[in-house]
Amino acid sequence: MSENGRVVMKKGEIVFSGVCVAFFGFMLFETLDLLGQGRPGEVGSGLWPFMALSVSLVLSLLMLIASVKKYRAAAREGTPELPVEAIAEKRRQRTTVTLSIVTFLAYILVMPWIGFILATLIYILAFALALGERRRWVLAVSPFLVTAVIVGVFAKFITIPFPKGIGVFAEFSRLFY
Amino acid sequence: MIDHYLQAFATVLLPQNLLAMVLGSLWGLLAGALPGISTSMGVVLLLSFTYSLSPMTAFVLLIGAYLGGITGGSITSILFGIPGEPSSVPTVIEGHAIAKQGRPAYALWVYLLCSIYGGTFSVVFMIVATPLIASFALRFGPAEYFALTVLGLSVVSGLSGGSMLKGFISCFLGLFLATIGTDGITGEERYTFDTVTLLGGINFVVAMVGLLAVSEIFVEAEEPFKEYKGGVEYRGMLSEFPPFSLFKKYLLTMIRSPIIGTIVGALPGAGATIAAFLAYGEAARTAKHEPEKFGKGAVEGLMAAECANNASTGGSMTILLSLGIPGSNTTAMMIAAFMIHGMQPGPLLLTQRPDIVYGIFASMLLTNLLLLGLTILAIRMFLELNRMPYSIFSAAIMILCVIGAYGLNNSMDDVMLMFAFSLLGYAMRKFDIPVAPCILALVLGDMAELSLRRALLLAGGSPVGLVSSPISVVLLAGALFSILYPMFKKPKMLQGL
Repeated sequence: MSENGRVVMKKGEIVFSGVCVAFFGFMLFETLDLLGQGRPGEVGSGLWPFMALSVSLVLSLLMLIASVKKYRAAAREGTPELPVEAIAEKRRQRTTVTLSIVTFLAYILVMPWIGFILATLIYILAFALALGERRRWVLAVSPFLVTAVIVGVFAKFITIPFPKGIGVFAEFSRLFY
Repeated sequence: MIDHYLQAFATVLLPQNLLAMVLGSLWGLLAGALPGISTSMGVVLLLSFTYSLSPMTAFVLLIGAYLGGITGGSITSILFGIPGEPSSVPTVIEGHAIAKQGRPAYALWVYLLCSIYGGTFSVVFMIVATPLIASFALRFGPAEYFALTVLGLSVVSGLSGGSMLKGFISCFLGLFLATIGTDGITGEERYTFDTVTLLGGINFVVAMVGLLAVSEIFVEAEEPFKEYKGGVEYRGMLSEFPPFSLFKKYLLTMIRSPIIGTIVGALPGAGATIAAFLAYGEAARTAKHEPEKFGKGAVEGLMAAECANNASTGGSMTILLSLGIPGSNTTAMMIAAFMIHGMQPGPLLLTQRPDIVYGIFASMLLTNLLLLGLTILAIRMFLELNRMPYSIFSAAIMILCVIGAYGLNNSMDDVMLMFAFSLLGYAMRKFDIPVAPCILALVLGDMAELSLRRALLLAGGSPVGLVSSPISVVLLAGALFSILYPMFKKPKMLQGL
């Protein structure tokens, strides 16, 4: 990884460690309510999570300190300018991942509204485009082929009751399963 | 006992089980052979579809995928020089070098025969060792079980690669996640935030699919569009069958490597990759015939690695069946499969469900034999599948993940939960936090907590009860050693501080 990339990564690690500290801290706070509950002579519901979260909090604090130290050391060493191609590549990678996550989330969110078949069809196309697929025959044929196989196996053969969608989309889905 | 075996073979040979064996093995070979899909991903994708199957059919299917995945990882390693699995790296070094010398069929035969031999060797070990270990483990009480889970989790966290600190964060995160839901003893709701989805706890399968499979696709998406080119020309397997004298020549390696593989496989957190590297290193260190060939196409190196990585499967399954402790992601999924079908792996399983335990023995033996023929027939098919557009293939995997999570309860809430785990898995991978300890802790967390609480209850609340038996003392000392040894050997825990 490049120097610049390493510094950016360290920044990200600090943020991630900070999120871990906040998360475990909040959950530990929530655990306080559970401590002391339970019948006499019985080990309550809070002991085990309290132990797990306390250790997690300490470990994530250590990770945060380590990340800050690493970041400072990397910043002290300086960050040479990255070549334009490397910056473009990094940006492309981020865009691809973001798009693949967003398309996946959109797929899950719209499925109950437009039904499994249409959502899957659109998702395959969108995901392939997000990953950089540009071959027209692949984009034209594959979504239909994959959707047909999946609907045939899982909706017709295994009879999983996939979401059908609402209104006209439900009517469309009922044509197939 | 003979009755159990006869019945087990008769059950496994039923048409539906044979079909499950073939399909599982093919799926495993495919998952292993295709870079970007790991064996554990292959198994977890199948796991969600085993709910509707009978327990035996489900295990036959999953074992096929497990053994197929470990075996299939070497196909692309030899022909393309790309390891399908991390455990196939030594195979890339030696196997691909042999293939590039114009002998791909020879390398494939050696790999295949050694894989099957290693796998079968470890199954025989498993058949002998499981009842012995299980009968010993019958003496275990809650304190011993707690110590055993602590040992398993500490070894996995310490050996999971990279920083120990991150390994333990992952482990404790998993332990915490396992507490979400209704407390099995007091009925108290924990961290449900008044949502119905979390009331029953986090489903392992949903978490595993998100953490392992979907997050892996997100990570893979960062890489440039893949097209595997530059492989050696494959003309079929009809030529270059290795002579028997070859295996006689390297007899010591053929004996030592599966033993290494089986023992390493039995250690929590070790598994096929460490087994393959250890056996390969040992073969290189003690090579008597053509040691100069190591790194340039040494058939002995290929034999050692392949015998060992397949032998690790029997070792892992021995510990799983006899003690209920998973040694790897894949065997953690087997625990999930047991739980799906209302069983708990461990010493009691052999007496409560001998049909399942002996059935697993039988199906592992038969799957190893089946893989010999199936791999030969399927190599050309996998080479064709490698040309399939990666974008479409990964989209299909994502859809299978959604179907897997949705199919559990026919609920979109599970799918959303899986998505949340996929983001967590992606972040963990990006910041080099190993996912394996989290998964194992999620699976074992419940058992660890219940054992601890029962042990404390029996001891009247005194923690001394946890160390009152020699077995638990030895196990806890082992856990302490597994934490302290890497720290003193290489102070990774304090790296960067």
